[in-house]
Formats: sequence, structure tokens, C-alpha cells
Amino acid sequence: MLNPVASNNPFADPLRFDRRAPECALVIFGANGDLTKRKLLPALYRLAYERRLPDSFAIVGNSRTPMTGDAFREKMRESVKEFLEDSPFDEDLWNTFAPNIHYVAGDLNDARMYADLKAKLDELKRPNVLYYLSTQPSYYGPVIEALGAAGLGRGDEHGWHRVVIEKPFGHDLDSARALNARVHSVFPEHEVYRIDHYLGKETVQNITAFRFGNGIFEPLWNRRYVNYVQITAAESIGVEGRGAYYQEAGALRDMIQNHLLQVMATIAMEPPALFDSDSMRDERAKLLRSVKIMKPDEVSFHAVAGQYRGFREEKGVDPESQTNTFAAATFFVENWRWAGVPFYIRSGKKMPKRSTDIAIQFNSAPHALFTSEDGRAPRPNLLILRIQPEEGISLRFLSKYPGSGMRLRPVSMDFNYGSSFGERSPSAYETLLLDAMVGDATLYTRQDMVEASWKVVTPILENWTERSFEFPNYEPGAWGPAESDSMLARNGHKWRNA
Amino acid sequence: MPATLEPEKILKDLRNLWIELGRDTDVAGGILRACGMTLVVAAEAAAEPEDLRRALGVLMHHHPARAIVLRLREQSGLDANVFSQCWMPFGKHQQICAEGIEIAAGYGDLPHAAQLLLPLLAPDLPAVLWCRGSRVFESDVFAPLNSLVQKTIVDSYTAADPYAAVEAVRQLRKQGRMVADLSWTKLTGLRELIASLFDAGSAAGIHSVEVIYAGDMPSPSAIYFSQWMERALPGVPVGLKRGPDGPRSIRAVVLSGEREVVLKRPDSGTMEMYCGGKMRKSTILRLSEEELMSEELSILGLDPVFDKVLLGDALPGDAPE
Repeated sequence: MLNPVASNNPFADPLRFDRRAPECALVIFGANGDLTKRKLLPALYRLAYERRLPDSFAIVGNSRTPMTGDAFREKMRESVKEFLEDSPFDEDLWNTFAPNIHYVAGDLNDARMYADLKAKLDELKRPNVLYYLSTQPSYYGPVIEALGAAGLGRGDEHGWHRVVIEKPFGHDLDSARALNARVHSVFPEHEVYRIDHYLGKETVQNITAFRFGNGIFEPLWNRRYVNYVQITAAESIGVEGRGAYYQEAGALRDMIQNHLLQVMATIAMEPPALFDSDSMRDERAKLLRSVKIMKPDEVSFHAVAGQYRGFREEKGVDPESQTNTFAAATFFVENWRWAGVPFYIRSGKKMPKRSTDIAIQFNSAPHALFTSEDGRAPRPNLLILRIQPEEGISLRFLSKYPGSGMRLRPVSMDFNYGSSFGERSPSAYETLLLDAMVGDATLYTRQDMVEASWKVVTPILENWTERSFEFPNYEPGAWGPAESDSMLARNGHKWRNA
Repeated sequence: MPATLEPEKILKDLRNLWIELGRDTDVAGGILRACGMTLVVAAEAAAEPEDLRRALGVLMHHHPARAIVLRLREQSGLDANVFSQCWMPFGKHQQICAEGIEIAAGYGDLPHAAQLLLPLLAPDLPAVLWCRGSRVFESDVFAPLNSLVQKTIVDSYTAADPYAAVEAVRQLRKQGRMVADLSWTKLTGLRELIASLFDAGSAAGIHSVEVIYAGDMPSPSAIYFSQWMERALPGVPVGLKRGPDGPRSIRAVVLSGEREVVLKRPDSGTMEMYCGGKMRKSTILRLSEEELMSEELSILGLDPVFDKVLLGDALPGDAPE
């Protein structure tokens, strides 16, 4: 994974010693929620399985539901068994892991709950504490302030206190700034870990390795050779019972403002001078600040909203909802490397299949010596970085069809993770939780990155709030509304809908 | 070389093997041909074939490779056949298969075998040699194979004279070969524990170290461990002291510093740590041969810590022969 954290330990051997969490307690607010059950506990269990957690590692769950510690442990056991994706459940391991799981019931608005939490942490005596906000976003500010008021916010000379905040980081630029101000009133920026689980995916991390570990791609990675870039995050499912939440968010806020702009930043950023947390995040932030902010009259030209038929009938959704379940936008990066190269980003629900990938379309050969089989100019090279599923990389190029005559046909050169690496890839949450515990913020977003990405989408959000769309405008199982295709067609481009 | 061992014939057999695998599979997701390197295994006659087959089976899951097993025997002559190893990863629907070639060869045929191996290596991928046995420490019989690969892995524990075996490994490195020794790999857990003691402040101000070993001579692991301590703590005396009888192994480590820390190994899987009048037990996993190999195969480049143990600050080629 990432470079080992610098050590002055004369016995250090970063090639062989796994990174391990120091002695600490993880406090999860919203421990009765889906994220804890589906992602956090399975990831922590897996870290324990890999011996990345110390024996003393403690988890303190909090939610409003009154529950005994035993009941909470049993619930977590069932969750781990159900959601552990690619490894079997080991009962013996659970029996050593579970005794350090605790539960503090109480309302997030109730000062007594924080007193109970403090008592529990005092009893556990772990020098380091990581707070994980897996609550509704409206609680982020109040919880952080309450932690500060209860004396739980700052670490001391014996250890650190950090906070992990789930997205969304605000619902627009102003609210993101306001949230940051509240967070910083208790936690300094270097103890704030804003999680974007896309950045923790192995395949997204591999973009950095692919670009900066190989010598042959980076010289081509610019406006001279790249025609356009497409980033697609398609889901085949709908809102799956999250209608009430999704109605407030929409695809633009839920996917593009955070995950996909971060992926775009990773694809387009300049090479960092060093591979460390600050250098990497500086470059990502710089790229996000270079994205051209659309003028109000450009929005309808460069952005498309969609809603699938049937969304308004979902539970908890307004029958007149104007929420976008599909969003697509064309962004331009205003720097020497990328000037004039469109970055097409789209994300939607109820699309034909679940697929996240990045396609880099290169320019055609400057002089067309050959034609393809259908008599047209041959298709240019295409590099596809597949994030999920079937993680890997493909390069499309032209090859001579066997036989007489010079007939060219596109063929694909494929790299599939499974064909070269037998090792299991850690889940994004395993990677990111461990990173937060060891103090490596490389894959976490920083305040300036959050604000820069809100600035990018703000004109679109404002325009869409003022407009009234004739939704629904795409059928389930389609690649979004027709306007999305038109947006690319105006530039002579097409979405890859393979 | 007999006509039946033409490399082209073996490669053709491999291609046919994949055709058959593809035809015979009844798995919905089909099969994925996996290959990230070539692993050449030189297995000496005494080695149990079943042990090796099982070890390779486990290894392929973590490091899919074209395995070339050179089964060495006293009898001269060369024979070859091809095989595959397939598995279905947990929770997946696609079977993964790795390919293998087994060549039986007499020790005297090794130069021929090396010639045969060259075209059989998976092109443009790393190649690693695993010498399974002790002959590698006694003669230069494996020299023709070493030149084919980027890294050679041995296990000096099997050698009769541990000092001579460690010296043989050092010589290989001095010749510029990338070399690993599973006797060093076995120390990772103990070394990690020592590093964690330092991080926790329990191993501050160390002014002397004593390594107590069981058996008539220190094991290669004990030799490496004491050299590692010397490199990590320049100027601090590190003693190797004979302890109880029994199989050659490290039995205790005494770190004398601001506090005395004693690490005792009552058995191969447990470590007892005595410090400030308190005792804490921890488990040190006893890794199987394939787990040790897996750790080594994940490091195909330079291993700077082991290099420093073998060579000190001298670079390969700098040290006098």
C-alpha cells in the first residue's frame, strides 16, 4: 500500500512488518446503523484477523437504542457473519475480539450520554481515541461540540484524539465551511479524518501507482495525446429504502461532489514531489482548484440531471420530487496539462449494470494510413481503468485481422488483478480505518479539498434548484436520459456504454 | 538432451493443458489463467513429493506463478510433464488456475536442465528459485540455476553447519545475487516484537544484548538475529550463549538497558516477556514453510534490512572475496 510511516526505530523493517494500530479505543456514534453493520465491524474484525489490531483494541458503540453490552455484541456478531465478504467467519477469533466491544446507550443531544461515554473511556484507559461519526450529517456539529464540552475532544501527551467524519461534508459550500468551523473548534485539522471510501479502494490507489510508477504513460497524460476522459459510476439498484435520505442528496451531491471529483483529481493531478500525505493532498487540492467553475448560463450546456421512472413511487419520496438520481457533467481543468480536454463524469441509479470505471480516450493517429473494417477511420486507443467490479486495466489498440489485405480491428490488452495477484485486497474501510489509527491521512480529504469540490458543483446545484425538470426522464435499465448523450455528441464524443 | 524434453514440446503441452481446462470446466464464470512470475523449485531427492505439491498449492493462491518443479535425483536423465493447480477464491464465481511443469533430473544433468529452463520461464516476469534442501550449501551444483533467476530462496536450517550455511548465503549475495533465507524469514515475528518494545519505550538505552540458544550450535536464525541486533545497535555488545539442549533454536533474548527485558520462548509458539517484575505472554505464530515462502515471494526487490545483516554497510561486490 502506501509508503510506511517514517520511523526512527532502529529495529524497523517496513518491508516485512505490517502496519499495526497502536493501543486505542474506537468510539462509533450511530453504531446501530447500516454502515456499522455492513462495513465498519466487518472491516475491524478482518483487521483483527490480520493481527493489525492490538489485543487491547476496544470498540465503544453508541446509539439511542437501549441495549445491554451482550445484546450489542450479539448484534455485531450477526452483522460480521452476514457481511464479511470474502473470508469465512472464525468463531474463536470472535471470542477473543468480542470482549473488548462495549456499548453506551444515549441520545446524541443528551449531555449525560457524553458523561457516560467519558466514564467508559476512563474505565478502559486507552491512551488514544478515534471517534467515528456514522450518524446523520446534521449531528456532526453537535456531537463534536459536545465531545469538546465533555473534555473528550483533545488528546494529551499520552495520546491522540481523532475524529472520522463520513460524507457528506455539508450540503453546499457554506454549510461545509460552517461544519469545518465547528469541527476545528474542537479538533485541529491534523486530527480530522474526512472519509471518502472511494479513495480507500485498492484500484483507486492503483491509479497513482499506474501513473507515477510507470515511465510510459505519464508522457502521454496530457492534452497533446488525450482527447477526453470519461468517469462513470453506475449502479443497477435504486435507492433501496434510502429514499428519504437520497431525496435530499441526489446523485450530484451523493457521488460526484465527493467520490468522483476525488477520482478525477487522482487521474489528473500533477506528480507529487514526495509520496506522503501532505504532498499527495496538496496536488489533489491544486487540481480541484483548477477545475473551471461553470457560469450560470453554461450549466444547461455542461450538466444533465435525470430521474428514473419509479423513483417518485419509492418509500419516503415526494411524489413530485425533483431529485436527480442521475447526474452528468462536463468539466474542464484550467492548467497547461489539461486545457481544452473534457472530463465527462456521470453517476446514476437503475442503470444497466453496476460498474465504475475511468476511460481515457487518446487522440487518433495524426495520419490515417489504414481504415477499419467498416471503412471508417480506425478507432483511437482507449485506456480503461476498472474500479469495480472486475478490477483491472485494459488498453484498446488496433491489430491486423489475419488474412490477406490490411484490415484493422480493435483488440484489448487486459490486466486483471486476480490473474497476477492472489492476495486478497483489503476493503476500503479496512485500509482507511487502519490509516486513521496509525495517523496516515493520505487517503482522507482535507478541508481545502472539500471546499474546492463544493465550489465546482455549486453553480450546477444552484441552477438545478431553480429549475423544474420534467422527471422522470429515463427508464430503469437505461444509461440515463438522452440529454446526457447529447452533451457528449455536441463535442463529437460518445459515452462508453459497454 | 532427449527429444522428448524439447522446450517447444513442453510449451505445446502447456497450451494443450489450457485448451483442455477451458473445455472441461463446468464453472459458470469460466477459468482465469493466473501468472505473476516463474517459481523454479529445485526439490532434492529426499523431499516428500506430497509435501511439495501441497506447499505449492497454498503458495499459488497468494502468488500465482508458472511453477517449474525440478525434482532432483541420483539417477541421470530428464523427464517432464505439465500440470495445473486450480482453486475457487472464497465468495467468487471464477476458477483461477496456475500452470506447472515438473522435470525429473539427475544432479549431473543440472547444467542441461538450466538450458532447458531458460525458454520455459514466463517471459518478462520475475523468476525466483527456491532451493529446497541442503545441497545448495555444500557445492556449486545450483550455480547454473542461480543465473536464470532474480532471486534465490534457501533454508539454511537444513544445513549441518549453520555458520558455513550463513557464510554460503553471504557469498551468494556478495556475488550480486538477490538471496533470501527462510531462517531469516522465521525471525519476522520476534523482530517485530522487539521493534514494538522499542516503540513502547520498553527497550530504551540498551547497553548489552544476550541471545541464548538451544542445541549444540546456534541455529542460522540465532546467528542472523545476533547480527541484526549488532547492526541495529552499533557499539552494543551482542553475545550468543549456549543454553539448554534440544533442537537448534533461539530460547531467550536478554536486553539490558534502562530496564532489563527478558524474552523467553518456552515453546516455538509462545513468547514470555519479563520486564519490571511483570510477565506478559504473547503468541508468535509458527509459520509453515509455504507461509515463509509467501512472505519471501512478496519481496522481489532488494531487502535492505537482510542485506545489512549479511553485508554490513558494504555493497555487494565491495566486500573482499
